[in-house]
Amino acid sequence: MWKSKVWNLTLLSTILRRRPTLLSISHFQSNSTSPFPSPSFSTISRISNFDFLGNPSFSGKTFCSESAEKSHVHVRCWSCGNVANGSLFLFCDSCRSIQPLDQSVDYFQIFGLERKYDIGVENLEGKYKDWQKKLHPDLVHSKSEKERGFAAEQSARVIDAYRTLSKPLLRAIYIMSLEGVDVDEEETLSDPELLSEILEIREAVEEAADSQELNQIQSQMQEKLDHWSNSFANAFQCRKFEEALNSIRRMTYYQRVNEEIVKKL
Amino acid sequence: MGMAEPAYTVASDSETTGEEKSSSAFPEIAIGIDVGTSKCSVAVWNGSEVELLKNNRNQKMMRSYVTFKDDIPSGGVSNQLSHENEMLSGAAIFNMKRLIGRVDTDPVVHSSKNLPFLVQTLDIGVRPFIAALVNNVWRSTTPEEVLAIFLVELKAMAEVQLKRPIRNVVLTIPVSFSRFQVTRIERACAMAGLHVLRLMPEPTAVALLYAQQQQQAVHENIGGASEKIALIFNMGAGYCDIAVTATAGGVSQIKALAGSTIGGEEILQNMMRYLLPDSEILFSNHGINEIKSMGLLRVATQDAIYKLSSQTSVQIDVDLGNELKICKVVDREEFEEVNRKVFEKCESLIMQCLHDAKVETKDVADIIAVGGCSYIPKIRNLVMSICKRQELYKGMNPLEAAVCGAALEGAVASGISDPFGSLDLLTIQVTPLAIGIRVEENNFVPIIPRNTTMPTRKELSFTTFRDNQIEVLIVVYEGEGEKVGKNHLLGYFKIMGIPPAPKGVPEINVCMDIDASNVLRVLAGVVLPGSRHPAIPVMEVRMPTVDDGHGWCAEALDRTYGSALDLVTVQKKI
Ligand SMILES: [Zn+2]
Repeated sequence: MWKSKVWNLTLLSTILRRRPTLLSISHFQSNSTSPFPSPSFSTISRISNFDFLGNPSFSGKTFCSESAEKSHVHVRCWSCGNVANGSLFLFCDSCRSIQPLDQSVDYFQIFGLERKYDIGVENLEGKYKDWQKKLHPDLVHSKSEKERGFAAEQSARVIDAYRTLSKPLLRAIYIMSLEGVDVDEEETLSDPELLSEILEIREAVEEAADSQELNQIQSQMQEKLDHWSNSFANAFQCRKFEEALNSIRRMTYYQRVNEEIVKKL
Repeated sequence: MGMAEPAYTVASDSETTGEEKSSSAFPEIAIGIDVGTSKCSVAVWNGSEVELLKNNRNQKMMRSYVTFKDDIPSGGVSNQLSHENEMLSGAAIFNMKRLIGRVDTDPVVHSSKNLPFLVQTLDIGVRPFIAALVNNVWRSTTPEEVLAIFLVELKAMAEVQLKRPIRNVVLTIPVSFSRFQVTRIERACAMAGLHVLRLMPEPTAVALLYAQQQQQAVHENIGGASEKIALIFNMGAGYCDIAVTATAGGVSQIKALAGSTIGGEEILQNMMRYLLPDSEILFSNHGINEIKSMGLLRVATQDAIYKLSSQTSVQIDVDLGNELKICKVVDREEFEEVNRKVFEKCESLIMQCLHDAKVETKDVADIIAVGGCSYIPKIRNLVMSICKRQELYKGMNPLEAAVCGAALEGAVASGISDPFGSLDLLTIQVTPLAIGIRVEENNFVPIIPRNTTMPTRKELSFTTFRDNQIEVLIVVYEGEGEKVGKNHLLGYFKIMGIPPAPKGVPEINVCMDIDASNVLRVLAGVVLPGSRHPAIPVMEVRMPTVDDGHGWCAEALDRTYGSALDLVTVQKKI
């Protein structure tokens, strides 16, 4: 009956910070691009140990803020000095060095997509693998500790981007966050109509006699998810964010039912 | 090696873990080692392809065993005598891959009691007593020591052939190995002077080889560049492992893993019990004659099982001594009936893996069956029939696939590149087992579910079980059981000094982090409502923390503390 808590920046991540090892590699960002719907470790440097706030070695100057300022000027490869063309710069094509994390690049940009909800998910995996072949920490084992740190961060962020964009609900929450609208996944359900509907469905899941029945409920949930996914797309396009949030709420609950079903199947 | 020198050196555990120390301009190529329960092999990238190394008897597959006969134990790599004969004396220890990192309550340890050496248990959760009979005295040893002695020989063999010192290795391990077992493997490697660059679940090594072959096919314009899904079934003497992988452009994304401790050893034991039903009682005293009888029965049964792969019936004729003779014809149907449960378990593992990968059988492009047991007709048939196929993938040698994959990973992870793009490869791994903590009533709550892409970080919230509870115990387990007793204990630590509050009020956040080097860290913090700051300093502990002989179990905790230090999961809001 437990539920995975969203990686919420008021939790451990505010309490903890990664110690910048050799360089001040990015720390988490406490600005509005979060919370992410899934555990988004990408906002935290993954290469070194956690440390408590106020660690004297913490420089306070994060790469993220630095790169955000610079992203539209010139970005140079830290290794060979080559000037990148365009703002998307995860990997240097001329010396094959992995670049430090740049939080100003959003998930859609990573996948070369326009920032919109309706995307073709079937092309994501190929692009995801292309990135991993350039960025995965396994491939830079013999490189410097600094570059291994970059690889760990970049690769983790690409995993996150892939997971987020390939799932409609996560993608919806994410694209809203890019518009500055945060979704509170923990909020209590207040719409009595939706509440009774959800309770009813849950009861049906609890009492389902066999897997056939469960499968049936599952396909009903899928239909509802598809429906509300379309509603979200429309609302979002018209920038009707209240309506969009409502669709997300619906999707969240139907999604949870699906998760319950999968557990029982 | 001189007579006075020890067979192995003991290095500190820390040497094998975490980041390696140097990165020179010309990295040495890590070798791939597949330490099987019964056989072992070594391979290395030779600059253009993977090459299996041979011992001085021209063998690519070497028996995984060590004989404690003289002052210096010797293993199956260099030893000139045949394994079969030594097995009869009680001096040879084998099956260490099945025994390593297991306590004496483990069913796998119990099923090892009829091996022709000593495995004794007290059933209290400590290491089993394992010993070889040397000059009528039981010489105790450990699976780590046996493995280390064996690895020393493998290392020496590879060094002679490659004419360079060997330090870095990529080892294959079973999917079902716990992180504690992994530390034991790393310990054995450290004792042998080897540094573990990577540990790969066996079917993922096969997946990497498959990715390379697919990439090659694309280059030669045989196949398309689109993604291909493969099911990999790998069953050796000790373990049965399954993986579903999606491959494109030389990248193998593992979609799901499933593993179990069933293997050829279980099939062999079922057959021995079938041929001589009270063998375990007959041989339980482990006298020299009994050991000899056990060894003879084992050799004869093994031989019969091999033959049943190619013939439909086999004549078993063996004199076990002590007026015990077995003379029997066994046909393939009998064999399949005797091992019905094993085959059913294989089927359910495949189904589970496909389900976890969310892959339909019609989407599986290739079915790869490797490992010694893949020669058993029943196994081949069941794998094909689940996937509704008429044939298996043909591009691999079933006994060499895993070690070849390990050697490829060794080259890739060492930073070697190939002008023809043959090393343009990557495996994206997932967690083979769920990792979580114990909550009230000995329930297990996964925090990182199994089949999560690594590296990863996940967090869950918990709360106190009692009013004014100032301490909670975080007990970390790995496994799939709903109760912690079914899972592997990785370690535990206490959070102390929680400000007194009614039960359910303190928010205890437990975060688990697996980094790029596959190191697991567990963090726990406490937040009180209305505060954005931690109530007490956050604890971060690297796992596993348990060491040998941890006679610790859920019952002991219950007995000592009851529910005084329990955690409760935070109920989902509706
Ligand atoms: Zn560059």
